[in-house]
Formats: sequence, structure tokens, C-alpha cells
Amino acid sequence: MQVLDKTQVEALSQALGEPAWVLEKRLKALEAFARLPYPSKKDEAWRYTDLSEAPLEQGVETPKGLSLSRDELPELVKRRLEKTDVSGFLVFVGPDLVYAEVPEELRQKGLVFTSLAEALKTHPSQVEAALFQGVYTEDKFAAENSAFFTHGAFLYVPAGLEVEKPLGVFKVVEGGRASAGRSLLFLEDNAKAAYIEEYLSADLPPTLHLSATEMVLRPGAHLRHAHVQTFGEGVWHFHRQRALLERDAGLNDLVVNLGGRYARSEVASELLGPGAESEMLGLYFGHGRQHFDHYTLQHHVEHHTRSDLLYKGAVKDEARAVFSGLIRLERGAQKTDAYQANRNLILSPTARVDSIPQLEIGANDVRCTHGSTTAPVDEMQLFYLQSRGLPRTLAQELLVKAHLADVLGRIPLKALRAHIEAVIEEKVRI
Amino acid sequence: MNQLEIRDLWASIDGETILKGVNLVVPKGQVHALMGPNGAGKSTLGKILAGDPEYTVERGDILLDGENILELSPDERARKGLFLAFQYPVEVPGVTIANFLRMALQARLGREVGVAEFWAKVKKALELLDWDEAYLSRYLNEGFSGGEKKRNEILQLLVLEPTYAVLDETDSGLDIDALKVVARGVNAMRGPSFGALVITHYQRLLNYIVPDRVHVMMDGKVVAEGGPELALELEAKGYEWLREQVKEGA
Repeated sequence: MQVLDKTQVEALSQALGEPAWVLEKRLKALEAFARLPYPSKKDEAWRYTDLSEAPLEQGVETPKGLSLSRDELPELVKRRLEKTDVSGFLVFVGPDLVYAEVPEELRQKGLVFTSLAEALKTHPSQVEAALFQGVYTEDKFAAENSAFFTHGAFLYVPAGLEVEKPLGVFKVVEGGRASAGRSLLFLEDNAKAAYIEEYLSADLPPTLHLSATEMVLRPGAHLRHAHVQTFGEGVWHFHRQRALLERDAGLNDLVVNLGGRYARSEVASELLGPGAESEMLGLYFGHGRQHFDHYTLQHHVEHHTRSDLLYKGAVKDEARAVFSGLIRLERGAQKTDAYQANRNLILSPTARVDSIPQLEIGANDVRCTHGSTTAPVDEMQLFYLQSRGLPRTLAQELLVKAHLADVLGRIPLKALRAHIEAVIEEKVRI
Repeated sequence: MNQLEIRDLWASIDGETILKGVNLVVPKGQVHALMGPNGAGKSTLGKILAGDPEYTVERGDILLDGENILELSPDERARKGLFLAFQYPVEVPGVTIANFLRMALQARLGREVGVAEFWAKVKKALELLDWDEAYLSRYLNEGFSGGEKKRNEILQLLVLEPTYAVLDETDSGLDIDALKVVARGVNAMRGPSFGALVITHYQRLLNYIVPDRVHVMMDGKVVAEGGPELALELEAKGYEWLREQVKEGA
């Protein structure tokens, strides 16, 4: 069992061959981690969440330097590669980057897509300009990630480069030890890219997983980003992401929670420059004793910014979901459009959703709406579909997919959408 | 045995008894009308035949070609060939007619149905109903007018080809042109392997779907039966006339 202390951080940083400034940042994060208490139901942002069964103090795995050929990749990943939208990708298994495939023509155009450890050696200035800008020591788990992350992906898209096909990472969690990784996405002026993070695992004993995604979008940059987890049982997944959008930058974001025992997504879009736009989509479907938390922030700092959030989910059995969304408009955020909607479908009387939309408005010339609905599945609709011969489970599946249809319809990544639909179908039938 | 038979059926909702011993037989190959004043229990009977879980059946049997289907779920009944055209078809946003109808046909036939086979069937039905193909990509009944909803019920009837159909006031709220279209659909289904119970409040529909027999329900029971002329008589004399007749008979 590893102890989460300074010795481990130093050993980890040394093993990864990191420059001194990274170690310094890690040690500062370690101080925050040591100082911050684990959250409890007394904390407003955790009041609906029961972490009593979570393996919170699990030791973080250490890098093994494993490398695989494409044929040797885990089956879970191979199956996903049969039908995927990505043209270039990194595969992480446990603490290690085990495989990478990046189109040579993109490299020649100045695009960097590699592990963080590698990028710190080859492109130190680009990494230093962005790493820890989005996610650092915001809470206990962010601090733990910043101190102990063993692996990460770094994407750098130079000014003006428009990457047509999506890039992505597949992360396989091995289990038994905590796993911590990050993605750092840095798009220069008017660059354009799409990036898909997929998180996979078999059914595991209780396992802690920490992920963080930082997105820096320089003026006019445009990013489509998807974070999709279809873990097996037993994974406790704590994800935090923050996008910094400068003038006229655009983000299309998607967060999907379908697997694991517990998943928490803290998703923030910071609209820092006029003309910045953020679409934030969320989709979740819980079964059994799954619990999914979604905490979102639409932070309008500058004027003429726009955000449009739609999170939709369904819960069955004894599953629980929480949506807590905040729209915050700063005093200078005039002529802002901010929309937020959360819609939930409840398939069983023992499932539960808590939905808390919130507004903090410091500007007066804005358009702002938010709304939330949570309703049980419509028995009249079920009866109608059944009366045409569809078995109840199939009718329910149809209604769940219908409920999620407008989010699914806004995902232009075909293979990813098919993957999500397939997992939903499977989950209805469990 | 080749018939839809309802035997001494008693049923209630929220503790209130609605059906009080219904007896009725629709032989395969025939179209029967079920008439009666408002509140007689006609629609309740239709919903109970389809297995609506809102109602409690207290007594009696429903026999489909001799098999008691009372314990079967709504989808099992449908797969055995029973079809209810709803009085108020339900809106299901997010589910297209095409997707739904193909799934329903597969459930009905118990096998995969290829796209070509499906389209051939649907196209024929659409032509008969004089309906635009564009409706198929619309969400099920969402935003449909009353007439469109009824037409959609008949479309499903034609595609799923049940053995027995119950049409619950499919004529209500329809103008005469829509009524003719609906009748055309039902008449197209007529034949030796199809039986139907057409529930209606008015005689009007029966000008276009001429029934083999007419049953009249009052206060939860079938109180009169006769040929098509009974419907005309009711139209002329009203239900009060029959109520008096029944009282005198009792």
C-alpha cells in the first residue's frame, strides 16, 4: 500500500523525468490535499452524495513503463477501435501510456498529441503555459490528481490549423489501486479540433479513479470535447474539467456517465472573452445502486457571450442522480445569452433525482433561462407501446432513448453516438 | 372457437364498478358494432380487452380463439393478434412512427423484418389511407390533429394485420372525408381471418363500415343485439327508447 505523501510525489516526478517546476507544483498540490478534508454531506456540494463506501484513501498506482502493440491492446479498447470516430488516439492502461497512433501529416503541421510526460520534454513552454491553469487544487480530489497524476494526454493545435477528424484517448482502469490522469488541450488562435475521452474497465473491486481535463481555447479557437465513461462495476470516478474560452472561442462539450459505481463530473466553462460560446451537453442513465453527480458552471465573465446547457438523464432501480447547475454572470457580462435545462426520467419508485438549477446575475441586459423537470415514466405511453406488441422492457428502452433523443441528436460523432445508444440499450435490459 | 368471446365480465376502476357482466361474441370473419350512450362502459371494455392496467377485472373471461387472455400482459395480447385502436392515441415524442411501427411489426411477427419488406407494407397502407410518407419520420402522434391521430391508428392496424381489432370511437371528432378514409382502412381488412368490434356512439360510421351485428351496451351490460337495422332504429329513436324497452322487458 502506497502512502499518499511527499516521498511518493518526489519518486513519481523523478520516475517520469519531470522538470523542477512540475515537482514544485505537485508538492504545493500535495499540501492542499493534506490540508483539505474529505467532503461530507455537510458540504453543500456533497449533500446528496454518500461516499461511505468509496475507497477514498486508496494508494495511487505507480507507472510501470508498459508498452503494447496494437494487437496486444485490451479487448475493451480493440472493440471500441472497430467503430470509432477518432483518427488518432492514445491508449492508457492503468498508469501508463501503452500505445499511440497519431497521423504523421498532423505532426508535420505542428500538431502535438502525446503524453504529458513526453510533451514536458519536447514542448515544455506550451505545457508550462497551460498546465494547472484549469484544474489544480479546487477541492480534495483535484488536489490529489494534481499531486499524484501518473499519466496524461497533451494536445496542442497550432494557430489556424483545423483538424477535420477527431482525436481521442482510451483509458482502461485496471482496479485495486487508485488511478489518476489528466488531459491538457491547448488550441491556439483560430485552431479547430475535436477530442473524445473514453473511460473503460471490466467489473472491478472498489477502485478510485481521478481525471481532470483542462482546455485552453485562444481567440477564435473551436473545440468539440466529449468525456464518456462506460466503466464496469466498482469504479468511483471523480472528474473535473474546466474550459477557458477567450474572445470568439467556441466549445461543444459533452459529458456522458453510464458506468461505474459512482461518477462525479464537475464541468465549468469560463467565457473570458466577448463572443465566446459554450454548448454543454450531458447524458446519464443509472441502474442498480449507481450514483451520478453533475455540477456545472456557466461562468460569463465578458459581454456578448453565450452558453447553452442541456443535461438529460434517466434512473432506474435504486439509482440516483444529482444535477446542480450554476449560471454566473459577472457585472461586465452584458448582452449575454445563458440557457440551462435539466430533464430527468425516473423508471422506478426507488430511483431518485435531485435537480438544483441556480442563477447568479450581476448584469442587467441579458437573456437567461433555466429549467428543470423530473418525472416518472408515463404509464399511458408504456401501455400504448405495449398494446402494439412491444414487451415492457423494449417499450421502456424506446422511452428512455426518446427522452435522451435531443441530446443524442446534437452529437455529430456517429460512432460515439452508436456506442452510447448500445450501452443504453444494454442497461435498460439489465 | 374462432372468435373473440367476452364472458360475464365485471371490472372496476378506483373502486367503482363499470362493467357488470358483459357477454359478447365476435366471430372471426365478422365486423360487429358496439353502441351505447355515454358512460355505458364501451370504452372501458375496449381498454380492458387490450389489458389496460388501470382497471381491475373482478370476474369473467376474455377468450381469444378459445384461449383465456385475461392474465396476459398488453404486449402478449397484441402478439396473439389483438389490436385496440385508441380513442385518444398517446403522444410519444422522440419515437418516430417508422421506427416504432417496424419494431411493432417485428414483435407481432416474432421475427426480424427487413427494411424492404417493411416499406412495401407501409407504402401500401399509406396509399390506401391517402397519407403522406413524410408522416413516418414524425414523432408518434406528437402535435397531430385528432384526425391525424385516428389515421395513424388505422395505419398501424393495416401494417400489423391483427386477427381481432377493437376500434374505440375511431369516428369521434372526424369530418366526413376523414371518416371515409378510416372506413376504407377497416373495410380493407375485412375477410375470413379478421374480426372487429367497432365501438361508436353514433350510427354515422356504420354507413361506411356496415356491421354484421350490432350490440348495445347500457350501464355496464350488453342489453340488446340485432342486425345493422338496430343501429338505424337507435339513430331514429334514441337510446331513451331502448332504455324503456329494456325496463319493460325486465
